[in-house]
Amino acid sequence: MTLTTPSQPPSRNGVDLIIDARDVVKTYRTDSVEVRALRGVSMSVPRGEMVAIMGPSGCGKTTLLNCLSGLDNIDGGLILINNEDINKLSDNKRTEFRARQMGFVFQFYNLLPVLTSIENVELPLLVSGVKPAEARRQAEAALDLVHLREWGKHRPAQLSGGQRQRVTIARALVNNPAIVWGDEPTGDLDTQNANEIMDLIQQFNRQHNQTFVIVTHAPEVAARCHRIVYMKDGQIVREEAVEASRA
Amino acid sequence: MNEIFSVPMNYIMVGLLIVLAIALSSVGWVVLRNRVMFMIGVRNIPRRRAQTVLIVIGLMLSTLIISTAFSIGDTVDYSITSQAYDRLHSIDEIVQVRAGDDDDEGDPFQVSSLVSAQPIPSAEAERLMGLFRAVPGVDGVVSVIRGPVPVRNARAGQTEPTVILVGVDGNAMTGFEDDIETLGGRRVSVTELADGEAYVNESAADELDIRPGDRIEVFVGGQPATLIVKDLVRDRVLTGAVFGVTQGIALDLPGALLVGGGPDEIDLVAVSNEGGVRSDLTRSKGIAAALNEPLEGTPWRAATTKKNLVEQAAEVSSFMVTFFVLLGLFAIAAGMLLIFLIFVMLAAERRVEMGMIRAVGTKRRHLIQMFMSEGMAYNVLAAAVGCALGIAVSLVMVRIMAVLFAAFDVSIKFHVTPRSLVVSYSLGVVLTFLTVVFSSWRISSLNIVAAIREISDSASKRPGLWSLSFGIAGCVVGALLMWLGWVTELAFPFGAGWSLFVVGGALVLRFAGLPARPVFTAMGLVMLFFWLLFAGNNVPGVDRLDGDIEMFFLSGVTMVIAGTFVLVYNADLMLALLTRVGGRFSRILPSIRTAVAYPMANKFRTGMTIAMISLVMFALVMMSTMNANFDRLFLSDEAEGGYEVVVTENPNNPIDGAVIAAVGGTGGGGTITGVDDVRLANNRVAEVRPKPKGTEETDWEEYGIAGPTESFIESNEVTFDIRARGLETDADVWAELARNPNAALIDSFAVITGGFGIGFHLDGIDPTKAVMDPVTVQVHDVTRPEIVREVQVIAVISLKASAIYDGLFLSPQAFDAVFPEPESSVHFVRLAEGADSGEVAKEIERSMASLGAQADSLRDLIDEQQQQSAGFLYLLQGFMAIGLFVGIAAVGVIAFRTVVERRQQIGMLRAIGYTRGAVALSFLMESAFVTLLGVVSGITLALLLAFQLVKTDDFVTGGVDSFYIPWVQILGIGGFALVASLVMTIVPSRQASSIPIAEALRYE
Repeated sequence: MTLTTPSQPPSRNGVDLIIDARDVVKTYRTDSVEVRALRGVSMSVPRGEMVAIMGPSGCGKTTLLNCLSGLDNIDGGLILINNEDINKLSDNKRTEFRARQMGFVFQFYNLLPVLTSIENVELPLLVSGVKPAEARRQAEAALDLVHLREWGKHRPAQLSGGQRQRVTIARALVNNPAIVWGDEPTGDLDTQNANEIMDLIQQFNRQHNQTFVIVTHAPEVAARCHRIVYMKDGQIVREEAVEASRA
Repeated sequence: MNEIFSVPMNYIMVGLLIVLAIALSSVGWVVLRNRVMFMIGVRNIPRRRAQTVLIVIGLMLSTLIISTAFSIGDTVDYSITSQAYDRLHSIDEIVQVRAGDDDDEGDPFQVSSLVSAQPIPSAEAERLMGLFRAVPGVDGVVSVIRGPVPVRNARAGQTEPTVILVGVDGNAMTGFEDDIETLGGRRVSVTELADGEAYVNESAADELDIRPGDRIEVFVGGQPATLIVKDLVRDRVLTGAVFGVTQGIALDLPGALLVGGGPDEIDLVAVSNEGGVRSDLTRSKGIAAALNEPLEGTPWRAATTKKNLVEQAAEVSSFMVTFFVLLGLFAIAAGMLLIFLIFVMLAAERRVEMGMIRAVGTKRRHLIQMFMSEGMAYNVLAAAVGCALGIAVSLVMVRIMAVLFAAFDVSIKFHVTPRSLVVSYSLGVVLTFLTVVFSSWRISSLNIVAAIREISDSASKRPGLWSLSFGIAGCVVGALLMWLGWVTELAFPFGAGWSLFVVGGALVLRFAGLPARPVFTAMGLVMLFFWLLFAGNNVPGVDRLDGDIEMFFLSGVTMVIAGTFVLVYNADLMLALLTRVGGRFSRILPSIRTAVAYPMANKFRTGMTIAMISLVMFALVMMSTMNANFDRLFLSDEAEGGYEVVVTENPNNPIDGAVIAAVGGTGGGGTITGVDDVRLANNRVAEVRPKPKGTEETDWEEYGIAGPTESFIESNEVTFDIRARGLETDADVWAELARNPNAALIDSFAVITGGFGIGFHLDGIDPTKAVMDPVTVQVHDVTRPEIVREVQVIAVISLKASAIYDGLFLSPQAFDAVFPEPESSVHFVRLAEGADSGEVAKEIERSMASLGAQADSLRDLIDEQQQQSAGFLYLLQGFMAIGLFVGIAAVGVIAFRTVVERRQQIGMLRAIGYTRGAVALSFLMESAFVTLLGVVSGITLALLLAFQLVKTDDFVTGGVDSFYIPWVQILGIGGFALVASLVMTIVPSRQASSIPIAEALRYE
């Protein structure tokens, strides 16, 4: 694997930025303790890029991902997603925005154990108001893409870890989101399954020009992204572009 | 109240205290031997305060119900006993004409016995009283005359048809000095009365608005006598108060004889024992025996009146407690399910901790000790709260009871004994302890690795050897119980055995590898069909099995279990249906989907909650429906027997039916078209018994005996439920009574079984069959014991009409032969079409005020009776409805728990686009869905069972024509359960919707 250090951050001028975060600050407060999880983080992601965020535990990777995706509020700064300042949206508007524009893949799958695979996949569509029959058709197509069509009637407990994560990916992609957020998407998988998952992610990135932001500890996962952002103590300390042939 | 289920309360208390001590000692043993386990258990309590509150509520409900039942029993016991002591005051025994063979029978409180059928000549009375005074233990003997008279208070313009005029010998009041007291508590004597003066008791004063100094008119034989009221006195037997009629006037004996105009005779002798009002009742029987020695060979007898009444009070209260406890069993069972559910959920919440505890080397018993410690800590607190709240609930119920019982002249005053509190508390703690130990044993079984890693314990889902063991045991025990039920002809063991057998069979099939859904669905359906057929007497041979109110509980529990299994194992069909329906409302479809999917995925939890709600709904709906259908029996015109008004005459002022007809012709506007009479024998002397077979003796029993006149026989429209062979129509029965001098008819209540053993019961007639063989009975008048008449009961008056036409109806010839001097007559009045029976009754009463005639609209009487019984049943329903809170609490416990349990999933749902509202809606709909299943299941099962029961001859011979469903009540109860469950879910659903997404996703 060969990494190259980018000479400068991607220019805003002439580049279609899907994520544009500036001086993002996030502080957690408990009774007597204040933890500054993000200390003025700025980060831009062009549409269609795959970005990996790496760093030691507690450096703020997941917090950054949560803030960028609108899952968490920020205490300072600006986050534009598709030119929309998500922190100015009401909770309901932001939820709808997420439903339309974003997909999520997490380490522990977070599938609803009481629903079958197909029901899990079609849930974001139903939330967005798609008619049930159409939602079912699209969910079947999404499961087809992750090679799990025949497992549609199985519940998560009846699937292997790799299969579950593929269902999660199908769910993340079923509404054709502009951005997919991944928090350790291969963290609970063995090497072979992790590779298969990354193959799928790369495939969707290439075919649909979808943007992926992936928090990971695994260098081999990061190496399959276009760019790697390193964090430490709530700040971005370094960025690297990955060699095109590898990504 | 000294007994319940025929077990002395003291034994129950001691037994429970021993078990309570064992339960507390076992926790003490844990404290001493495994302090760490105890501390882990107890320190869990303050971790989640809202949850702790819910757990305490859940655990206390059973105790609350038990404590309410006992408090009501104590109250009834205390109230009736107090009233008996208060009314009788110094009187312990009463000597008067005998009635019944049992020495313990007979009391002075029957209105129909107010006229002595055989008074005691004064000279004879004096002789006897001299002998009575010599009996050891007797401190007072006084002669009394009394009789019902109409009274008018001219000043207030008030008239009362029946007031008891009492005359007591003022010179023989030793031992009864306190019995006549003014309302201010001043002791007075009838010797203080001047000629023409009288004391009026409190009830009469209230009714007639009488004040001291008022002049009142007393009518005897239609002639008025004027009395001046000297003072108002308390309601006592010696001032005219008896059960049923409390209004009275007290005079000196000579004054009363003068007013009454009767011969020099007395009606009864009152005897006071040493020891005051609350003297030792155990001596009463011996004293009565001594009093009866000189009465041998006379028609008079001494009865242990006060002792009888106090014992009756204990019996009534014991019956009330038994009844309330039996009806409360549904709620208690639901409460125990809730306790089990709570602990299962606690275990689910602490699964990782439990796995860790096991991983570091503790054994399964240590987990049991941990949960037992925690459970007992909740338990001792919850039972105390339950006891206190039970008393609060019973206070409310007692207020309602006071209104209802006032109609029966019973003054209800709240009272609870320390013994009942000890029993309620101990029983609550013990029941909860047993449930907690069982729950702890169940939940302590876990796979350590699966628990620590928070993955499903797949091994435990396969039916293992336990399934086979329990299955075989169920089949064997079930078969034995069925055999026992068949041999002893008892429905309870047979029904329980069958259900157990089916459950056992299902477990064996599961062990054999058959899938759960078909096995448990078939099990549920088989049980349901069996119970429905069983209730409808459609299972060959089982109609000979005897069952009582316990079958209500057994059928309810088993049907609810069966219904819950069918529901829970087929819920995916419901999910598909709801998804299809929900598709029409696409915005809420995601919420519907998760709302249904979660409860359906957790069959145990959902099933338990459905069962709890369903159990209580079942009991409430069954009660409402059966009651409503029973009430409707009396709504038809058949209940009135072809008449609209009944006139009851005062025995001292006989009325000719023609006089009543004349009222109709004048004041009634010509609306009376006929009056037919039925003569009544004096209740104290009219006795009946089944004809002795061979040398076997049977006891004589008091019973109302009536002699319908020929005009009544010709004109009435009273119908029959059961007729002797050959009598095809009701008209045939009446014709036979007119033709056959030895024919007789009897009311339904004397024939129906399961009547709690109150009153005369005639064996030999199957109330479930429309045809009977005539049954021979003997009747006599105790004052003329040499005349015994044998008559044949040829028909049973319909249940509908029996509320009005009760007693043994003899042919006119037989009645004349045995009771040539009837006590009084009742006059049944027929009105022209469209006449207002209430108005006519008032007119008759007005016209005959001086005769003391009491006229009532039959429809009003029936409605009043129904309202009284409905009021009591509403009270019982209210008590049973406490159980609904068990189900509602379960919904709340689950909702709070699921917020914690699904925190991460809620985060994910929010991430993929569920709004806060959608999450909250999903929670609310989930609770509504589970509650609705429980409500619908309970309603459906109850209506099915009620339909089967109502259509059988057990309900009413020939069954009912149409099945009535009281929808308003049912929907009201169901709606309340649903709304209350939703209210319980509001807080947790708001919590769920407010969970910060990022935090929830990080949550483990």
